[in-house]
Amino acid sequence: MKPKSHPLLRVAQLFAVFALLAAPIAALPSEGDATNLKTVDQDVQALKKQLIDLNRDLFKLEEELLYPASTQVAVFLSVDVGTFFALDSVTLKVDDKEVANYLYTDREVQALHRGGVQKLYLGNLKAGSHEIVAFFTGKGPHDRDYRRGTTLKVDKTVGAKYVELRISDREASLQPEFVVRQWE
Amino acid sequence: MAAAIAVTASVPAFAAPPALNSIAPDFALKSVDGRNVRLSEYRGEPVVLHFWASWCGPCRESVAALDALGVNSGTPVVGVNLDGADRSAAVADALHLKSPTLVDAQQSVARAYDVAKLPLTLLLDAEGRVRASWSGVPADLSALTPQLASLRQD
Repeated sequence: MKPKSHPLLRVAQLFAVFALLAAPIAALPSEGDATNLKTVDQDVQALKKQLIDLNRDLFKLEEELLYPASTQVAVFLSVDVGTFFALDSVTLKVDDKEVANYLYTDREVQALHRGGVQKLYLGNLKAGSHEIVAFFTGKGPHDRDYRRGTTLKVDKTVGAKYVELRISDREASLQPEFVVRQWE
Repeated sequence: MAAAIAVTASVPAFAAPPALNSIAPDFALKSVDGRNVRLSEYRGEPVVLHFWASWCGPCRESVAALDALGVNSGTPVVGVNLDGADRSAAVADALHLKSPTLVDAQQSVARAYDVAKLPLTLLLDAEGRVRASWSGVPADLSALTPQLASLRQD
């Protein structure tokens, strides 16, 4: 497996590639050389790919620095079928402090129905016991306003903690169901 | 004069709408017809974003003109009303507005945009960057219209 270089080192490498690319462009002969142009085009495409990779690596690095695994808690939201509930908003509280309040547009609800998973919250918690409360508002059966809360006690250990809030249908009672699952 | 000084003093010195060429902060609000609207979902086309309230005289004049501009040009004109949850729908209805009117009852979006003077009108390009703004006065349609046309051609 090829070891990954540090993102800052890769920034310096990219600048060097830019400088190398700029030189032959300035020295191109007046009558265009198709082979040279093709090479430059390939280099530009390779450079674009490197920039995308670098951006991804910087994002991961930033996330690792801001939210180290030892304290990281992430809360995700997903919808399974959702016939009995039209999601309008979610308010999330951690240890009685509001950390997220999200209003869903029609497009976002459709994306969730198509299987999308939303990262609702990413933060840090000390090891120990914590309480996560989520309030869901929307339209329930018979188009009635619906508000439901669900509570989860989590024991934060040294590893990252992932919590999934899942809205599904309870066919037996024709009511929506709000399920909370923990992932280590 | 004393009143004018008092009003000026009440506005924090740093209060200013987003600078030209900066990305307008994203937000989601409920519209008077009950839909949730997110600003970033308009990316890909220019948008006129307009903060207003019914108690502000120039706002009522401005909102009607911008609504007509939106209808005639097909440009999304998004109004953010600061009257409060109960009044916003009645005011939008009374003014026969066709454009979406969003309710910023908590004024959280107005704070994010540092709205110090009303009306505040921002012209955003397809990438959500501020290309022109008018604060405390109605938008100058003679300047806004050609800028909008230019952005729609890009």
